[in-house]
Amino acid sequence: MISPERLNILLVDDNDIDIAVNTKLLKLAELTDNIYSFNSGRQFIEFLDTNMNGLKKKVNVVLMDIMMPGMDGFQCLEKVKELPEDALRSIFAFMLTSSIDRNDIIKAEKSGIVRQVLEKPLDVYLVKKFLRDIYLQSQGSE
Amino acid sequence: MSDHLISILYLDDEEQNLVSFRALFRRDYQVFTAITASEAVEVLNNHEVHVVFSDQKMPDLSGVEFFELIQPDFPDPIRILLTGYADIEAVIDAINKGQVYRYLTKPWDENELRITIENAFDLYNSRKQVSAKQTELEKAYAELEKFVYSASHDLRAPLLSIKGIINLARQENDPNKFREYFNMIDVSINRLDAFVQNIIHYYQNEKHEGNHGSVWFESLLNEIIGSLKYTEGADRVQFRIKVNQDRPFHSDELRLRIILSNLLSNAMKFRDPSKPDAWVQVEVHVDNKRCTLNVSDNGPGITPEDQPRVFDMFFRSQHNQGGTGIGLYIVKEAVEKLNGRISLHSTRGNGTSFVIELPEKE
Repeated sequence: MISPERLNILLVDDNDIDIAVNTKLLKLAELTDNIYSFNSGRQFIEFLDTNMNGLKKKVNVVLMDIMMPGMDGFQCLEKVKELPEDALRSIFAFMLTSSIDRNDIIKAEKSGIVRQVLEKPLDVYLVKKFLRDIYLQSQGSE
Repeated sequence: MSDHLISILYLDDEEQNLVSFRALFRRDYQVFTAITASEAVEVLNNHEVHVVFSDQKMPDLSGVEFFELIQPDFPDPIRILLTGYADIEAVIDAINKGQVYRYLTKPWDENELRITIENAFDLYNSRKQVSAKQTELEKAYAELEKFVYSASHDLRAPLLSIKGIINLARQENDPNKFREYFNMIDVSINRLDAFVQNIIHYYQNEKHEGNHGSVWFESLLNEIIGSLKYTEGADRVQFRIKVNQDRPFHSDELRLRIILSNLLSNAMKFRDPSKPDAWVQVEVHVDNKRCTLNVSDNGPGITPEDQPRVFDMFFRSQHNQGGTGIGLYIVKEAVEKLNGRISLHSTRGNGTSFVIELPEKE
């Protein structure tokens, strides 16, 4: 399993309640202490730009809400894709949505960096399973 | 017999026919005559014509050709051909192609002519009504589509937040933490309720015929502010009312209420949290036959990029937490239903003011 020091979890959601609840749920799951949250796509991108050097050495799991005012989840991902290759490789994106729409699945596949589209509310067991998959994948490629 | 004056255009290359026709009908209908196709087009350009008669046999072009000519630019008038028995072949073809509604043989029979005119006018009206209904329906469908898409988010999101809170609460061992969870559930429920109420307001505004009554703004505003008392943030905002009204204003109270409560609740919701003295002010001037409402605040203001879009259905600015995006859309629709105008003045960092001008209802 990915060690807690190597793992970053980044939550992006305009809904403050969902952020609070998901942060708590993830802390209770004891996956890592490095949990960051952002109220908007823009805030998230700014954070990535400023902290990229530190970030690219870790495994960055991003849990991003699709429906946000201003820049929505997919528009934010387009900005994320502008990062350099080594930073991009460290990012694993999961999209969160109130209802799974066919168009969202298509957009996710087209983006190339979305691992999965998840329905709200966030299920921490699923997150653990995906983390295990990511870990096993990285073991295989080393 | 219809009570609406039917307007008829008759094209014929023989002056005598035009004269007879005019003599027969000028007292009952509005009759225009033309001796050439271009004269006829001139009439159609300048008047609303319900029924067009044309002779079939003319030197420059046939009646059928004339109808083909005018159809693209003037599709609405009902087209009737006057023809001698010998031209039937050409006429039947045109009728089958939908160019022509009916043909009448010359010499005409006055009664038959009258009946044809009345029937044609009925058809004209029916088509106009259907067209209007269709436009209305298209608007309704477009809005419904937007609503369904947004509803799946705005209706479900607060419910799913609550599910998340419950998941958390189930894992919680410390009973002291429950109060926090209950507060969070309460906030989510309020968001959902606000959205549902907005939808109801919207449809009340759309469907409601409008009640006419005497409105006194001071008491209306006090009522609205009273009802907002339990809304989040109400205790942190100071409401100021300045009403200049010395006689009742005749208008639709329901719509005024919708307009004012949405603007006030917005100003409250999107106040500047860093300002300890957040205020919302409503100034009302009732003049001769009209009133001016100015709802202003010292909130964060609206950026120039967002300003043209704030009245769009479901538009939410990235600068604002919460909100459904439908409030200002409803306000705009209500103002329009009252034949008024609304304008927005704001700079980011410097507050916002909405100015509404409304005429008095007759």
